[in-house]
Amino acid sequence: MQWHDPDKNPREEEEMTVKIRFFARFRELLGTDIVTEVAPGTMFTHLITTTARKNPEGYAAIFDDKGTFHEFVILMKNGKRIEIADAAETPVADGDEIAVFPPVAGG
Amino acid sequence: MFSARELERYKRQMMLFGEEGQERLKNAHIFIAGAGGLGSPISIYLAVAGVGTITIVDMDVVDQSNLNRQILHSDRDVGRKKIASAEEKLRELNPDITVNAIDVKIEESNVADLIGKADGIVDAMDNYPTRYLLNDVAIAKEIPLFHGGIRGFYGQATTIIPGITPCLKCIFPKAPPKEVFPVVGVTPGIIGTIQANEVIKYLLDSGELLTNRLFIWDGMEAHAEELCVERNPACEACSGMTPTKTPARKKK
Repeated sequence: MQWHDPDKNPREEEEMTVKIRFFARFRELLGTDIVTEVAPGTMFTHLITTTARKNPEGYAAIFDDKGTFHEFVILMKNGKRIEIADAAETPVADGDEIAVFPPVAGG
Repeated sequence: MFSARELERYKRQMMLFGEEGQERLKNAHIFIAGAGGLGSPISIYLAVAGVGTITIVDMDVVDQSNLNRQILHSDRDVGRKKIASAEEKLRELNPDITVNAIDVKIEESNVADLIGKADGIVDAMDNYPTRYLLNDVAIAKEIPLFHGGIRGFYGQATTIIPGITPCLKCIFPKAPPKEVFPVVGVTPGIIGTIQANEVIKYLLDSGELLTNRLFIWDGMEAHAEELCVERNPACEACSGMTPTKTPARKKK
């Protein structure tokens, strides 16, 4: 027998997960296809900051020492470009796929 | 018209696209920026495919440390100008094409003249500032830019048709810092071959080009994927541009 709190929306208890895909150098340092649970209202930048902190070198590859994305980093959510300036205010939602990658420069 | 030698040389590919397709390749002029890791497979495959005129530009001298990937150059070429060994190698591979090998640094002041009336630009550079110059000329001349980039086991490629697809600045508005990048020769081999394949399809006007898509290769995982890319309406290089002329390949 399970109790249900009538005031609580059962959907809020469900896990909210997003998938983070890093590419190239970022992938070497941080791995890829990272499926992570997020709280409702989590913002893009916060999510990537938290994830990247697991490896200081990976973090430094993506963020500058003020905690801002390096200007060359490309951000995408579900195949759509997110501007760095907007990322801190861009929420992520259940099922989102996030891509973070550097321009690959060698030739 | 083709000589008997050419007909024999191109026999197996004319099974795919006929003498008419081969004629398109022969009449084409492709500009390759760089005779390094990417420029090597690009120029080699375009030369043997019979692209009639190839201009290849590089300012460097062959270094021993280039030889793990820059297959235009051999051990005996160490210390020679890259364009000297490039020209020699390409002529050996196919004496029936014209090779212009130019020893110069690509700069804002010379890039448009160097590219001249070429039908397309292949990006085989190792830095973004020069790539942006190529991008600007591609936009100004309304000719395609076949982009590639590599690092380690990773690579990327896309085909840019100015006014129609995103330009390089739409996709990568800011250059990453310059670095001495690690690389294993197979990576530019794979990406450069994809770029050459794009050039050939473009000249033949057949197949689906790698347009509006960024091809991404992960050699460690042996996994390729693509990301959709879009024009940036505020792009400093190509915003406001609509294709006013017929794309180059339709002019032929």
